[in-house]
Amino acid sequence: MRKTLLLAILVPAFSLFAAADSQWMLQSSTISYSASHPLHHFDGVSHAARGKGECHSGECQFLIAAPVKSFNSGDSNRDLHMLQVTRGAQFPMVVVRTQLPESEIKPGTVHADLQVQFAGQTAEFKQIPFQVAEHGKDIQLTGTIPATLTDFKIAPPTLLTIPIKNEIPVHVDMTWSSGQ
Amino acid sequence: MHSQRVKFVSTIAVLAIFVALPHASRAQAAGATLSGTVTGPSGQVVANAKISIKNAATGQSTEVESDTAGVYRASNLAPGNYEVSVAADSFSTATQSVTLAAGASHTLNVALSSGLSLGSLGFPQSETQGSAQEQARLNRRTHMLKVHQTLGLITAAPMLATVISGTFAGGRATSSSNRDLHVGLGSLTAGMYFTTAYFAIAAPKIKGTKTRGPIRLHKALAWIHGPGMILTPILGAMAYSQKSKGEKVHGIASAHGPVGVVTAAAYGLALLSVSIKF
Repeated sequence: MRKTLLLAILVPAFSLFAAADSQWMLQSSTISYSASHPLHHFDGVSHAARGKGECHSGECQFLIAAPVKSFNSGDSNRDLHMLQVTRGAQFPMVVVRTQLPESEIKPGTVHADLQVQFAGQTAEFKQIPFQVAEHGKDIQLTGTIPATLTDFKIAPPTLLTIPIKNEIPVHVDMTWSSGQ
Repeated sequence: MHSQRVKFVSTIAVLAIFVALPHASRAQAAGATLSGTVTGPSGQVVANAKISIKNAATGQSTEVESDTAGVYRASNLAPGNYEVSVAADSFSTATQSVTLAAGASHTLNVALSSGLSLGSLGFPQSETQGSAQEQARLNRRTHMLKVHQTLGLITAAPMLATVISGTFAGGRATSSSNRDLHVGLGSLTAGMYFTTAYFAIAAPKIKGTKTRGPIRLHKALAWIHGPGMILTPILGAMAYSQKSKGEKVHGIASAHGPVGVVTAAAYGLALLSVSIKF
């Protein structure tokens, strides 16, 4: 009887340790890039990102991805041009991976090392600051990734033969919820 | 009889030892050892990971498991090239290649990455898989539209010159040389215009794209300057003919000037619609 009781306690406890300690799910997001041209300034916005985080032994792995074609700058012609220069048909997803200590996911500023796969290239962004705010059980992360076209070997798109600026900062606003 | 039997068995045993010994010592020398530690993304050891060590030449696999310290060890492996794959629950399977020399001990530590994958995010495969064919289509579209854009800009110059020369070509006091210059410029404009239009019309269309933004105005204006570019030269030819006969331009031909101006204005606006943010 005591053995059965012990097993009843130990087995679920063991399976809890084997699985992720905790998980994060991306609830909503606004990811936008900003591009500048002497005649224009435009932002391409996507709300289609999906993300998941898994924490093991106090370390959390996050994976966030969005289809390249989901970015909308308000002009379908420009978006198709961006899709072409970013090789978006061949590499349709922008994928971000990061790792954070679970203890740092609290209101304040968190610095994250990001690995971004985009346009068939992988670029690393070190110590990018993100503001973390708590909204009940959810966590809101906001920050800017200082991306450039050369980071991903993208030829700058042109308008009237004038290329856009190399800097395309990516603004991120994500709401995550945690759960087992 | 018994002693003879013992002698025979002893001789066989000694012979067997002599025959087997060199093989055994050679096998010991030839057998390579592969060992290492399996860790997770944050450096934690991974116990019970399944390690498959596959000989590339023979296809033969040796299976071992990591212990509670994440350590695995496989010995007596023949020298050669191996493909080592490491799988564990909640992690992505890692595969590495290793070459083992005869009798050598090789250490191969394997760091497993998180089990998070695009599939785990719920994206359909059709959305995550790239298409080189579709990319080639996009490249061709962009190339053709770039030519369209450049030719369109260049065409604006003879078009403007045609409009300006038109103001000297229609009056009573104008010379035939003024009219000829206007006709020449108009013909050049028409030729360039239709070449420009070709690159936009023939550019590959991308399925599932909903037209939005300033490009809608750009396309709508084509329904004005397009017919205008057909009508203007026809009306111009009629007006030229009337003028050549010494007649005053009359009838429908008198619409040549206004139609030409509206066409040029629509064309200019189409250029601006994609150049300047309104």
